[in-house]
Amino acid sequence: MDMISMSLLLLLGLLVLLGAGLWVAFALTATGLVALQFFSNIPVGTSLATSFYSASVSWELAALPMFIWMGEVLFRSRLSQEMFTGIAPWVGRVPGRLLHTNIIGCGIFAAISGSSAATAATIGKMSVPELTERGYDRKQILGTLAGSATLGLLIPPSIILIVYGVATEQSIARLFVAGILPGMLLMALFVGYVAIWSKINPDGVPSEAEEALPLAEKIRRSKPLIPVVLLIVGVIGSIYGGIASPTESAAVGVALAHLLSWYGGSLNRETFSQALMGTVKTSTMIAFILVGAHFLTVSMAFTGIPRELAEWISTLSLTPGMLLFALTIFFVLLGCFLDGISVVVLTTSIILPMVEAAGIDPLWFGIYLVIVVEMSQITPPVGFNLFVIQGLTGENILKVALAALPYFLLLLTGVILITVFPQIATFLPHQMGS
Amino acid sequence: ETNWDMPTPYGDSNFHTVNIRSFADDVREATNGELDITVHSSGSLIKHPEIKSSVRRGLVPIGELIMSRLANEDALFAVDSVPYLASNYDEAWDLWQASRDILAKRLERQRLKLLFAVPWPPQGIYTQFQIETGEELQGVKMRAYNKSSERLTELLGAIPTQVEVPDIPTAFGTGRVDAMITSPSTGANTRAWDYLSHFNHAQLWLPKNMVIVNARAFKRLPESVQAAVETAAAEAEKRGWAASKKETASKIQIMEDNGIVVSEPSDALVKRLKDVGDTMTQEWIEQAGDDGQALIEAYRAR
Amino acid sequence: MRRFLDTIYRFGGFVSAFQLTLIMIMVVLQVLGRLLDTVLLALGMNSLGLQIPGLAELAGFLLLGATFTGLAYTFVGGGHIRVDIVHRALPGKVQRPLDILVTLIALAITVYGIWFSVLLAYESYDFGDVSIGMVPVPLWIPQTVMVAGLGLLAIALLDLFIGLITGRVTQIKDEGPQE
Ligand code: NA
Ligand code: NA
Repeated sequence: MDMISMSLLLLLGLLVLLGAGLWVAFALTATGLVALQFFSNIPVGTSLATSFYSASVSWELAALPMFIWMGEVLFRSRLSQEMFTGIAPWVGRVPGRLLHTNIIGCGIFAAISGSSAATAATIGKMSVPELTERGYDRKQILGTLAGSATLGLLIPPSIILIVYGVATEQSIARLFVAGILPGMLLMALFVGYVAIWSKINPDGVPSEAEEALPLAEKIRRSKPLIPVVLLIVGVIGSIYGGIASPTESAAVGVALAHLLSWYGGSLNRETFSQALMGTVKTSTMIAFILVGAHFLTVSMAFTGIPRELAEWISTLSLTPGMLLFALTIFFVLLGCFLDGISVVVLTTSIILPMVEAAGIDPLWFGIYLVIVVEMSQITPPVGFNLFVIQGLTGENILKVALAALPYFLLLLTGVILITVFPQIATFLPHQMGS
Repeated sequence: ETNWDMPTPYGDSNFHTVNIRSFADDVREATNGELDITVHSSGSLIKHPEIKSSVRRGLVPIGELIMSRLANEDALFAVDSVPYLASNYDEAWDLWQASRDILAKRLERQRLKLLFAVPWPPQGIYTQFQIETGEELQGVKMRAYNKSSERLTELLGAIPTQVEVPDIPTAFGTGRVDAMITSPSTGANTRAWDYLSHFNHAQLWLPKNMVIVNARAFKRLPESVQAAVETAAAEAEKRGWAASKKETASKIQIMEDNGIVVSEPSDALVKRLKDVGDTMTQEWIEQAGDDGQALIEAYRAR
Repeated sequence: MRRFLDTIYRFGGFVSAFQLTLIMIMVVLQVLGRLLDTVLLALGMNSLGLQIPGLAELAGFLLLGATFTGLAYTFVGGGHIRVDIVHRALPGKVQRPLDILVTLIALAITVYGIWFSVLLAYESYDFGDVSIGMVPVPLWIPQTVMVAGLGLLAIALLDLFIGLITGRVTQIKDEGPQE
């Protein structure tokens, strides 16, 4: 069977299993098993056990439950509620009002966390109930969260830039710096879209009581923000002050969140165990899907499908512009049924040589790749932000994906902008000397 | 026709990976395509920690890994990482010749066949200050990643500090660590000049990557193909050692071009490192037992 | 029997929570050690270099443990997500057989995974595989924890399967919005 029919068959199988209501992690694993059994000659069971083990033993991944835990603790303290009370006076006249908190919150959180799942889980835990209660448009709440959480990958630190940097021997420090401006660009696009959307749909944005307050009053009412600011300063400070690695800072965040919750009087045995057991549920769910996705990735690698598809593109001898166009389609398609990091891991080895041969800067390409991968986080059926948000809100992933569609298009706009103006990505790293 | 998937831990531009790709091409050519090895670089198929056990289990028939990763299960595999035991290419070659058979036998017990091994460029000391006598390392936070690097750091008077590989640039940038020991290759590939200023070409040791095959998968090959693999492996080993030497010079040049101050160790530093090396050689022999003792004697006799 | 099963799922959840807590405490201790060093250096004293040996590797093993021992607990709580949009549109008569079928598939995959994970752990034990970091951990230990967690999940799946067949369970639990 040729590889196109093979990949279509597997994709179809995955869709059928998901549609039948098989749990996502099992659907991914089952598709991997089918791929290995019928399209490779390697020992299937051995591969399954090895993949499960190797995907779940990970130091970098340990940050994920820690960030989720931090969100759970904040959610159960008065902090998260007070945070919105503190921000509300400032956004009274801004079109979109508190809807921007998802974008700004994810942007700030992205500077602490390297993954988009952790960003979605932590910010969403606090913002979704609060914004829903205040009467904001449900679809926009989900959309802003799904879209902005992808920033976790682009704004440093970033797991995916590390993976790309290691695989292609690019400087991780430079890649990180290169991600800063595009990250801010995307935030600006998101904020702009929310503002325009709010002008068109004023019903989706409730008016905040504190619309026209004198400055002194605004500042006074922002007092509840102090603990949250302390938490952010503590976590980011622990990284840049040289006492914690980005992974370790997640645990610092958990400890600080407990301290603040204790100081605010909301920490007791009940909230502690609720937060911890909630963390077990969310992080186990995400980790199990990651494990299934890893196995599917390994299976796909053994079948040789992604490699052959990429090699096929390389035989087309396209112009740089056409090549990027083709790659974008290729990555978006792969991103529909593999998670972002897997896409990078599986294909860089074949794609980078063509990219370099076409005269494209590999540093720039890393940033391009991350934004494309961000898009794959919010495309069904396999999109990690969709899974996380379904777990968080109970909303079906298709509904979340639809809500996130504008943000998918905005990410695409971001890709076009950095292609037309590559300096957005390369300016800062080129200032780094030598 | 047989297809083999081969996981390797390092990126495509790494000289080990380049060498292994040539090896795969040689095998394909020599067997008229009867054995086709697909190289999956930078841990894309199987991650580094699982490569050995995956080859053993027959998940993949062949793979590459750093030999000294096996130090915790058997000290013999760390013989190429004892400081100043063999600290240039000639000595490293002698040590490899003296250790090859015994290491191959150890691997045979795990159903693995040792095909060939290629050294990394000699390990040097990266710092943010000039090293004259080695006294400067007193109290400095130095990266340690296993027991032997921890011990070395202690003996140098530095403070062993755990830093994971992807975290190295951030750790230097934020002052969690001040010094590390690695090859000019890794230094240049990770663009050490972004976060470091000095490199001392101390040539502490030359760690090796080895290529292993699942013994059963190998036996299943027709004899002519087996012979072709062995010939290609011998070629790859020779080519790899030469490439490694070239790599040392070129990567040091790249570092100098990017503003890293490269220096040779002073006599005082060499003496200090030799003392540390002697201590660690003794300690290694104690861990490695009689086989270790015999190995060292065979090496010294060459 | 019901009470016993619910207890073991919850026990798995607690073991998972305990391992997450251990990760947190170990990392915080490590960071406090560095903070102490920073303060000591600022006061002109020597740093102590306090650290938890092999922290990254140990945390990795604990994470594996937390993930697998928490699987069944999360499962019975409806925490593992599935795409139920097609499912919900189907008539009730088709829904139940479909639920039984997907539960059976999940059970089969889990049992298959257990069998090969046992082999994995046994082989690691047999060959004496140990981790590569500062604290050599025999790999069969985390791999056995993985087997145990998958075993607990298999029990939960079997439990659900029997429930669906006997009609005790009419609908698979899917978690709605939390709180
Ligand atoms: Na980030
Ligand atoms: Na997707």
